[in-house]
Amino acid sequence: MQLRLEHVTKRFRETVAVADVSVTMENGVYGLLGVNGAGKTTLMRMLCTLAVPTEGRITCDGEDIFEMDMRYRKILGYLPQDFGFYPDLCAEDYLMYVASIKGLRPAAAKKRVEELLHRVGLYSVRRRKMKKLSGGMKRRAGIAQAMLNDPKILVLDEPTAGLDPNERVRFRNLISELSQERIVLLSTHIVSDVSYIAKRLFLMKDGRIVHQGSMEEILEHTPVRAWLCTVSKERTNACLKKWKVANIRAGSGGNELRVLSDLPPMEGAAEAELTLEDVFLYYFGEKAGDDDALL
Amino acid sequence: MLYYEFRKILSKTGNRIALLALLVLLGVTCYFAVNGYGTSYTDEQGVSRQGISYVRKLREARLAWEGPLTEEKLAAVIRKHAAVIAAPEYNSRDVTEQNIAYSWTQDYQDIRQMICRAFGEFRSYDYYKIDSLSPEDAADFYPNRIRALRTWLDTEAKDMYTEEEKDFLLERYEQLETPFYYTWYLGWDKLFEYGPTIQMIFVLVMGFVTAGIFAGEFSNRADAVFFTSYHGRKKAVTAKLWAGVLLSAALYWTVWGLYSVTVLGALGADGASCQIQVHVGWKSFYNITYGQLYLLMSFGGFLGSMFLLLLNMLVSAWTRSAVIAVTAPFIMIFLPSFLSNLSVPWLSKLLGLLPDQLLQMQTSVNYFNLYRIGGRIMGEVEPLFALYGALSLLLLPTVCALYRRAGRG
Repeated sequence: MQLRLEHVTKRFRETVAVADVSVTMENGVYGLLGVNGAGKTTLMRMLCTLAVPTEGRITCDGEDIFEMDMRYRKILGYLPQDFGFYPDLCAEDYLMYVASIKGLRPAAAKKRVEELLHRVGLYSVRRRKMKKLSGGMKRRAGIAQAMLNDPKILVLDEPTAGLDPNERVRFRNLISELSQERIVLLSTHIVSDVSYIAKRLFLMKDGRIVHQGSMEEILEHTPVRAWLCTVSKERTNACLKKWKVANIRAGSGGNELRVLSDLPPMEGAAEAELTLEDVFLYYFGEKAGDDDALL
Repeated sequence: MLYYEFRKILSKTGNRIALLALLVLLGVTCYFAVNGYGTSYTDEQGVSRQGISYVRKLREARLAWEGPLTEEKLAAVIRKHAAVIAAPEYNSRDVTEQNIAYSWTQDYQDIRQMICRAFGEFRSYDYYKIDSLSPEDAADFYPNRIRALRTWLDTEAKDMYTEEEKDFLLERYEQLETPFYYTWYLGWDKLFEYGPTIQMIFVLVMGFVTAGIFAGEFSNRADAVFFTSYHGRKKAVTAKLWAGVLLSAALYWTVWGLYSVTVLGALGADGASCQIQVHVGWKSFYNITYGQLYLLMSFGGFLGSMFLLLLNMLVSAWTRSAVIAVTAPFIMIFLPSFLSNLSVPWLSKLLGLLPDQLLQMQTSVNYFNLYRIGGRIMGEVEPLFALYGALSLLLLPTVCALYRRAGRG
C-alpha cells in the first residue's frame, strides 16, 4: 500500500493552507508535526476526501483517491481532531452505527465492536451514553470507530489533545499496536506523541513540509546543537533574548539553560544530545511554545 | 443503518420532549373537539349539560329528522320553529325560560342552519332568517342555493371570473344531488374543525425532530466520521432521509388515527355519506360526502406534512443548521395567513396553491379559486395534490444530492 501526495496545494480564497506538499507513505507510523495553524488538519482532511486539493493529486497505489471514492473510503479510518459523536447513543450503539455506515454486516459488526471495545478498554462502559464518558474514553471510542473497518490507511488528527499523561501513554501504545500492516498518519503538536512510535516524521510549517525523515535523520540534519550552561538569575532574561532557549531549570547556583546554537553560547557551556523537542523549537521558533507544544 | 438512524433520532432528549409535547397537544385538541361549541345538550329545565352521555341525547334528538331533506321535512321544520317562536318561553326576558325554548329547537338546529344559509345572501349568514319564513318557502330551498350563486356571479363577482368559469361553477352547483340526506354528523363536523390544528401541530413538532437529522451531523461534529465512511456519501445519506420520511409518516398516521378514533368515538361516526353541503361545505362546488372529505383531509394532511418536512430536511441539509430548518415549516404555514389579509385576486389564487392549504382541506373545498390547467377548469384541490405530490418526489433525491455535497470543502 502506497499513499502519495504530489504537489498538493489547498487555498481558501487568498489563504494558502497547504502549499505544494509532496510526500510518499508506505506501511508504518508517520508523524506530522507542526504548530497550530500549520496546515496539518487541512492536509489530513484532503487525505480523507473531506477537502479537495486546489492543485496536485493524492493517489493510493497510483489511483486518485477521489476517483476511487467508496473503494478508498472502504480502506480508510479517520479520527478527526474535533471528534464528534452522538451524545445520547451509548458507546456500543455508537460503534454499531459507525460499523453500519462503514459497510459491515450486522453479525460481523457486532463481533468487531465487541472486540474493539475490549481492545480500547471500554467494554465495561459499553452501555454508558457517549456524553457521559470521560475525555480519554471518548478518544478511545474515537480510535475504535476509526479501526472498525480494519483500515489500511489510518489518519489520526491530534488524537491525544486534551488527554492526561497516563491516557496519552496508553493511547500511544494502542496506536503502536495498531500500526502493523497499515499506514498510520498521526498529526500532533505534541512532540513526545510521535518521537517514540513514528518511523518517519514530517515537520510542517505555514502549509509546507519543511523537513522530513526518520528521527535520526532529522536530528542529524538539523543545523543546530544543544548546549547546557548555567547563568545567574539576573542574566537569564538577557540570555533568553540572545539565544533560542529550549529549557530553563532553576537551581541554587543559578539557572541551567538549554540553548540551541551552532557554537557554544558561552565559556563553560557543555554540549548535550539534540532531541526532537530541540528540533521542533528550532524550526517553529516562538510559536512552538503555544499551548502544550513541548509537553 | 436505518435502525440506528431511528435510534439516533429517538434517543435525543429534545426529540423525546417534542414527541411528548405532541402527545399532550393531541390530548388537548381532542378535549376541545369533544367538548367544544355545539356539543352541549340543553335539558327541559333549560340547563346546559356537557359530556358524552349528553352528546348521545343530542344525537337521539337530531336523529328524529334523519332521512332525505324533502320539501315536506323542511316545511315541517319551519312550522315547528314558528310554533317555538310563538311560545311565551321564547319571548320571555328570563334566561332560563329562553333556554327552555332553545331546548325545543336543538333537534332541528342543523336543518335550521341550512335553511338560514339557503335563504340568506350568498356571502352572509342570518341565524334568525328562519323566523321570517313560511312552510311554503320550503320549495325554494334547493333552487335558492343555485340562485344565490348566480346573483353573486352577476353582481359582486362579475369581473372575478370568465364566462366559462361562471358556467363551470353553476354546472357544479346544478350537478349536486338533491334532496340531501340528513343524519347526525357532529363527529365529522368537529373532526374537520380541529383537524387542521392537529395537522399543523404535527408539522411544527415534527419539524423540530426532522430538522436535526441532517444538521445533527454537523452540530455534533460527527460529519467528518460520517462522510469518510464507506456509505457516507450514498446509502448512509439515503438512510437518513428514509428515517425522516418513515418516522414522519408513521407518526402522522398514528396521530391522525388517534385523533379520528377519539373524536368519532366520542361524538359518533354517523354521517359519512352526507353531502358536505349539509354543513361544512354549503357553498362548496365540490360535490362530495363527509367521508370523502375525510379522505381528502387525511391524504391532503399527509402530503402537506410530508412536503413541509421534506422541505425542512432540505433546509437542514443545505444550511447545516437545525435552527434555520425549524423555521421553514413555520414560515410556510403562517406567512400565508398574514398575506391573506391583502385582498388581491392574483395573490388569493397564489395563496390557494401554497402547501398550507393541504393542511386545511375543509377550507380548500370551500374556496372559489379556479385554475385552468390543460384546458380544464378546476378548483384548488386537484392542482394541490398534483403539485405537491410531484414536488415531494423531487425533493427526495434533491435532499440526498445536496447533503452528499455538504461534507466536502
